[in-house]
Amino acid sequence: MTITRDMLLAAIDRVAAAMERDFDMLNTADGALGDGDLGVTMSRGMRAISAMKDDLPDDIGMALFQCAQAFTKSSGSSYGTLMATGLMSAAKALRGAQSIDVASVPDLIAGARDKMQERGKADLGGKTVLDSLDYVSRATAEADTGDMVVAAAQAVDKALDDFRDRPATVGRARIFGEKSIGLDDPGMLAMRSVVKAATGQ
Amino acid sequence: MMKKILNNPEHYVDEMLEGLVAAHPEYYRLHGDGGKVVARAKPGKDGKVGIVTGGGSGHLPVFTGYVGTGLLDACAIGDVFSSPSAEQMADAIRVADSGAGVLRLYGNYGGDVMNFDMAGELVEFEDITCSTVLLADDVASAPPEEHEKRRGVAGMVYAFKMAGAAAEEGRDLEGVTAVAQKAADACRSIGAALSPCTVPQAGKPTFEIADDEMEMGMGIHGEPGVWRGKLQTADQIAGEMMDRLLADMPISSGDRVSVMVNSLGATPPEELYILYRTVKVRLEEAGATIVMPLVGRYATSMEMAGASFTLCKLDEELENLLQAPCDCAFWRVE
Repeated sequence: MTITRDMLLAAIDRVAAAMERDFDMLNTADGALGDGDLGVTMSRGMRAISAMKDDLPDDIGMALFQCAQAFTKSSGSSYGTLMATGLMSAAKALRGAQSIDVASVPDLIAGARDKMQERGKADLGGKTVLDSLDYVSRATAEADTGDMVVAAAQAVDKALDDFRDRPATVGRARIFGEKSIGLDDPGMLAMRSVVKAATGQ
Repeated sequence: MMKKILNNPEHYVDEMLEGLVAAHPEYYRLHGDGGKVVARAKPGKDGKVGIVTGGGSGHLPVFTGYVGTGLLDACAIGDVFSSPSAEQMADAIRVADSGAGVLRLYGNYGGDVMNFDMAGELVEFEDITCSTVLLADDVASAPPEEHEKRRGVAGMVYAFKMAGAAAEEGRDLEGVTAVAQKAADACRSIGAALSPCTVPQAGKPTFEIADDEMEMGMGIHGEPGVWRGKLQTADQIAGEMMDRLLADMPISSGDRVSVMVNSLGATPPEELYILYRTVKVRLEEAGATIVMPLVGRYATSMEMAGASFTLCKLDEELENLLQAPCDCAFWRVE
């Protein structure tokens, strides 16, 4: 099974629409634990990607590289830079390819997680988007290729459920300490929206 | 309701920069496509190490204001309290480079660190060598054993000044970086806030505080401090701030120090001078000699009321660099 350029373009449309739909939800969730602009970051980044979508090259690696750049140009927010870092990691791995082998998806996500962890100087288990990606990479690695989309969608929900009642220990939410208990991490919420939209779940 | 002099919150930073450059064309010019990189009007000498900084708007004269001779070469500026993008930072690095490499000198905030790291990766392809020194001088933001987690505040003004003078003298990237690190290590700061500020695009205050309360140790974006309670007298506030600074960086008899008493924005110079009395007494009691005290608005947080103190312990090298000439629209040493 492969993911073609056309499938990637369709996923971009779905993710862009999801970010418009979740604009207020993400801003509000971020406002409780950060500066309240996560919806702005995500919608700006996805709008920038949508705007150049038709000109994306056939080389999937180059296409993802340009998507990463769209995030670095549209915003200076940490989350935008982390998204760009993750996309850039996948872009490097896929350079020269015309499509993505579905079997390589767990490794691509794990690679993105590792690069983002390095960039953010953060450990897993701190209640951040890194934990969502960790859940997704492990769930997809265990699933048959045909079940990966379902496994990924379940993994982002499970990550939120598992971390909801724990305090944030890294990232912006860390300074709120115990107050973050019971609140969903905004970055994890955004990744849930992205993964569900990208997989069409 | 937000009560500010502005046209459209969306254009706040662009219009501020437009006015800044229009008022001081002898010092500043805008560089690049994004319009949010400020460079020296007259570039530094060829072969001089470049120094760049960057961060969110809302702290003037930090960051943009300190672009000038004997100070910074360029600055990437973001929206109010938001990091500039990695692309803007890369642009600032490019314009600051004249072949001798570029020091990235800025405050320790997660977003700025990530973006400056990414900017470094972007310019690596263009063979520009970069080094990094982070300011982490706010003693209220983490205990001494986790000092590398502290936020960077007004201490960066000393680091800009000293590193800028070292670069102007013609030292190489390694030398300028070492000076910047020494200056950063020599600074300790603490702030106290009386009222919040409003980020134009958010439209509401960054935090709420009762009319009769203050917060000790609050960060320059309204990050929680060490305690909140009834507003104290100037002498009590200054006394506690000095206690906390001196506990973190003890001063011995014979030490030479510079000290900054800085307004967070709304607090007038009158009140800074009231605070300075206690600062002077405490430093002299410890046996220190005060060199070039700085009292005024050096690093602000929009219209936040409150003050910060920065203590900078000097050795001969740092003292000479502090007193070397510099020139920008907000600060001149002759």
